Amino acid sequence: MFCYQCEQADRTGAVPGCAGPLGNCGKDPATADVQDLLIHSVKGIAQYASRARALGAGNDEAAGFILYSVFTTLTNVNFNPTRFVALLQEASDIRDRVRARYEEAARGRGLEPERLTGPAEWQPAPDLDGLLAQAPAFRVDAGLDLVGPDVVGLRSLHLYALKGICAYAHHAHVLGRHSTEVFGGVEDGLAYLAGEPADVDELLDRAIGLGRLNLAVMELLDAANTGTYGPQRPTAVRTTPVAGKAILVSGHDLRDLAALLEQTKDSGINVYTHGEMLPAHAYPLLKAYPHLAGNYGGAWQDQQREFARFPGPILMTSNCIIEPYPAYRRRIFTTGPVGWPGVRHLADGDFSPVVQAAKAMPGYRTEGPERFITVGFGHDALLAAADQVVDAVRRGAIRHFFLVGGCDGPTVGRDYYRDVALGAPDDAVVLTLGCAKYRFNQHDFGAIDGIPRLLDLGQCNDAHSAVRIAQALADAFGCGIDELPLTLALSWTEQKAVAVLLSLLALGIRGIHLGPSLPAYLTPGLVAVLVDRFGLRTIGDPKTDIAAALERAGA
Amino acid sequence: MTTSPIEATDATDATDATDATSTIDTTGTTNATEVSPVTLTTSDGEHLDFGCAPGQTVLEAAAAWGAALPAACRRGTCGSCRATVTDGVYDLDTHSPQALPPGERDGGAVLLCRTRPHGPLTADLPYDNSRILYGGIPVREGTVTALKPVARDTVRLELLLDEDEEQGAGFQFDAGQFVEVRVPGREERRAYSLANTGNWDGRVELFVRLRPGGLFSSYLRDRARIGDRLTVYGPQGAFGLRETGTRPRWFVAGGTGLAPLLSMARQMAEWQEPQPARFFFGVNEAEDVFAETELEAVAVEARAFTYEVCVWRPGTGWRGAAGTPADRVADALRTVDAAGELPDVYVCGPPPLVETVATAAVAGGVPPDRVFRERFLPT
Repeated sequence: MFCYQCEQADRTGAVPGCAGPLGNCGKDPATADVQDLLIHSVKGIAQYASRARALGAGNDEAAGFILYSVFTTLTNVNFNPTRFVALLQEASDIRDRVRARYEEAARGRGLEPERLTGPAEWQPAPDLDGLLAQAPAFRVDAGLDLVGPDVVGLRSLHLYALKGICAYAHHAHVLGRHSTEVFGGVEDGLAYLAGEPADVDELLDRAIGLGRLNLAVMELLDAANTGTYGPQRPTAVRTTPVAGKAILVSGHDLRDLAALLEQTKDSGINVYTHGEMLPAHAYPLLKAYPHLAGNYGGAWQDQQREFARFPGPILMTSNCIIEPYPAYRRRIFTTGPVGWPGVRHLADGDFSPVVQAAKAMPGYRTEGPERFITVGFGHDALLAAADQVVDAVRRGAIRHFFLVGGCDGPTVGRDYYRDVALGAPDDAVVLTLGCAKYRFNQHDFGAIDGIPRLLDLGQCNDAHSAVRIAQALADAFGCGIDELPLTLALSWTEQKAVAVLLSLLALGIRGIHLGPSLPAYLTPGLVAVLVDRFGLRTIGDPKTDIAAALERAGA
Repeated sequence: MTTSPIEATDATDATDATDATSTIDTTGTTNATEVSPVTLTTSDGEHLDFGCAPGQTVLEAAAAWGAALPAACRRGTCGSCRATVTDGVYDLDTHSPQALPPGERDGGAVLLCRTRPHGPLTADLPYDNSRILYGGIPVREGTVTALKPVARDTVRLELLLDEDEEQGAGFQFDAGQFVEVRVPGREERRAYSLANTGNWDGRVELFVRLRPGGLFSSYLRDRARIGDRLTVYGPQGAFGLRETGTRPRWFVAGGTGLAPLLSMARQMAEWQEPQPARFFFGVNEAEDVFAETELEAVAVEARAFTYEVCVWRPGTGWRGAAGTPADRVADALRTVDAAGELPDVYVCGPPPLVETVATAAVAGGVPPDRVFRERFLPT
C-alpha cells in the first residue's frame, strides 16, 4: 500500500504518504492496492477509448464506467475490496469491447489498428490474492527511481485532478448531462498518464489543461443540477429536529436525495440533509417536498458522533464516509460509488430498506427549538442581485470578498478558515462553498445594505458558481478576476479540490491561500514553481492574512 | 460408544459461540501490578477511570475498557486524539509534528494514540462526554412466537422483541453473531447463534438442540409456550463474514452449527452478494436433518448458491449423501481445478467437527487463515 492522495496523508516518515497497516482515512492495504489496479485498468480502457473517439467511434457507456470506477477510488468513497475485484473484471471486459470497437473503426477507415501496450494489454488476476500480487508494480509512485520525484509528483497531480473531474462528471452523468468534450478529455487525460509522461514542462501545461477541462465539467454539473431541480434560491434551512420518523442523507448526489424524497412521500418520514447535502434545500424541485425537513450535524469528520445520535437510518450517497461505528453500522446504507465492508449497499435506487429502517426506529420524539441557516446563493441568485452588489462595492459599502471554500477535515490547522470568516471586517462579504463552512455558518454575520454578509454558494461541486460570480464582477468593474477585491482561502481534503485548484489557476487567479497543508506529492521544487507562476500561498496567521488581503486590495 | 464427529451429545446445554463470545485481551495483563491507572476528565467534568496495561496506548486501553474516544488515524498523524496530561509519567511514540508541535508537548499535550503511561496518569480531554461512545451488551425483552420441533431433539424458537427505547422495533446484528437467552426463573443464560438476519421487525430465530437435563432444554421441552416472555442479551460475538474479494464461500455446518452459517447465507442472498457459495450440512442420522426448506429458499434467492446435506450414519430411508461434512469438503476441494478459486471456509459445530473440517480444508489447499471457525461447546 502506498497512498498520498489526500490531505490526511501520513507525514511522519521520510517519504510522505500512507503505507499501512492502515491509511489515515481508514483504507486498508488490500483496498488501496486494488484501487491502484483499477486506476491502471481504466487507463487501459482510456488508451483505446481515446483513439476510438478520435475516429468517431466514441463509447459513452465505457466513458460512464470510467467516471464511476475512478470515483470509487476517491478519498472516503469505497473501502470494500470485494467491490473492486468485481469492478476490475468488469473493466477488463469493457476494455476488450472498446478495443474491438477501435479496431473496427480503424479498419473501417483503412487504417491498421495500433497494438497498444502498458495498461491497454494488462490482465487482472481473477482473485484477490492474485491481484494483490500484481499491485506493487502499479503504485502511484511507480517509476520514481527512473524519473525522479518531480515527475512522479506531477503524474500524481494529474491523476488526482482526473479523479476529481471524474467525480464531478459522474454526478452530472447520472442526471443525464454529459458531453464529448468531457468524456474525451477524461479519456485523453488517462491515456496520457498511461504513456508514463516524463516532461516536466509538458506535465505542468497539461495540468492547467485539466483545470480547463474541469471548468467544463463543473459547468456541465451546474447545468445538470439547476436543469433538473431548478436554479438555487436563497432558502432558510431548519437545523433543529422536527418530531417524527427520520432519515439522514449525506454525500453530494442530488439524484439519490430526490429518489429518496419521492420514495418517502406521504409516509410521515422526515428527510434531513447532512454535510455536503445541505445546499439541496435551495433547489426548488427538492425543497418542494415538504418532508425535506432540515439539516443535521456538521462536516464529514464529525459523522461518527453525529450518526450515532441520529434516531433513524443514514444513506451515504458519495464521499465522505468514514468507518461506521458499531452504534450505527447496521443502519447506515451506501449507494452509488460508496462502499464499506459489512454495510448494506443499495445499488438499484430502491431505498425501501432505508424506509423500513426509518419506520422501525424511534425518530425524533420531540420538536427542537426553531433555528435556521440560509443557503442558496448560487450564481442565479447572486447574479440577479449583481447590480446591488456592484453598487455596494462602488460606494465602498462592500470593501472586500473572502471566498472560503473547500472541505473540512480532522487535521489540525483548519480553524484558520473559521478565523478568516469571523475575523473579516464588517464591510467584507464572506462567500462559502464546500463543508468548511460548518465551522462558522451558524454565526450571525448580519448584512450590508440588505446583502447578507455570509453567502453560501453550495457544495464544493458548485465551484462553478464562484467562477461565474467572480467573472461577472470582473466584467462589471472592467478588470480581471485577479484584480477584484477578492481573496480565496481554499481548504482541501481530497481530489475534487485539486481539480478546482487547477481550474482557478487556469483562470489566472493568483494568490490563493491553500491549506491546511500542501499536497504531499508536491515536491519543494514543484511548490516553488506554483508559487512563482501562480503566486500560490499557504495559509498563515488569519489576522495577518486578512490584513494583507485588505492592504493589497486597497493598494 | 463412538463419538459423533458432527453433533455433541453431552448431557448439558450447548453454549454456542464459546470462542467468539470471549472478550479476550491478555496483552500485558499477566502482571496486574504493572497496569497503570488512568483517569481522563472530559470538558464537561466526567471522569473515565480504567487501567492501561503495559504495551497499550491510552486510546487502546480506553477502547478495551468500553469507551471509544474520538480518534481518526490512530497513528500519531492526524491530531484527532489530542489531550493534555495533568499528572503522570509516560512515553510518547513517534508522531507528526503537525499533529503535536514540539512546543506544545512541554505543556503536557499528547496524542492518546501515542501515549503509553508508566504508572498513574491523569489527563484532560478537550471534548464533552457525549463525544465518547460507550458500548454495553444490549438487553431486550421478547415474546415467544413460535416453538416447533424441526428434527429429533432440535427445535426452532422464534421470538419477537419488544420495541426498544433507543433502537426501535428492529433487531440488527451481523450474520454469525449470537444472543444469550436467560433461563426463565433463573439467573443462568444460554447462548445460541442467530439463524435469521438483522431485521427491522425485532425477529429472533434460533435452532436449539435439546439436551437431556439441560436448563434451557428442559424449559423448552417441558414448560415453554407461545406467548412466554424471555430476556435476550445481545447481539454478541465476532464470528462473521470476511470481505476477501469475490472468492467463493463455503459454509460447513454440523447440527445446530447450521444457525450462524444459515444467517450468513441468508444475508448474502438478501444483499445479493457476488461470491459463489456452497453449503455443506452434516448431521448424525436422517432423523436429525432440518432446515432444508430454508436452504432451498436461499438457493432460489441467492446469486449462486448450492447446498448439500450429508448424514454420518444413514439409515435405509436416506437417499442423500452419506458421510461427514469433512469428507464432503475434502471431496469437493479435489474437484476444484487448477484454474478454480479455492474458497474461504466458514465452519461451525462441535469442536471435533470443526477440527476435522479445518484439517480437510487445509489439506485441500485452503490457507489456514481462510478457515473461519466457530466452536459450539457444551456447558
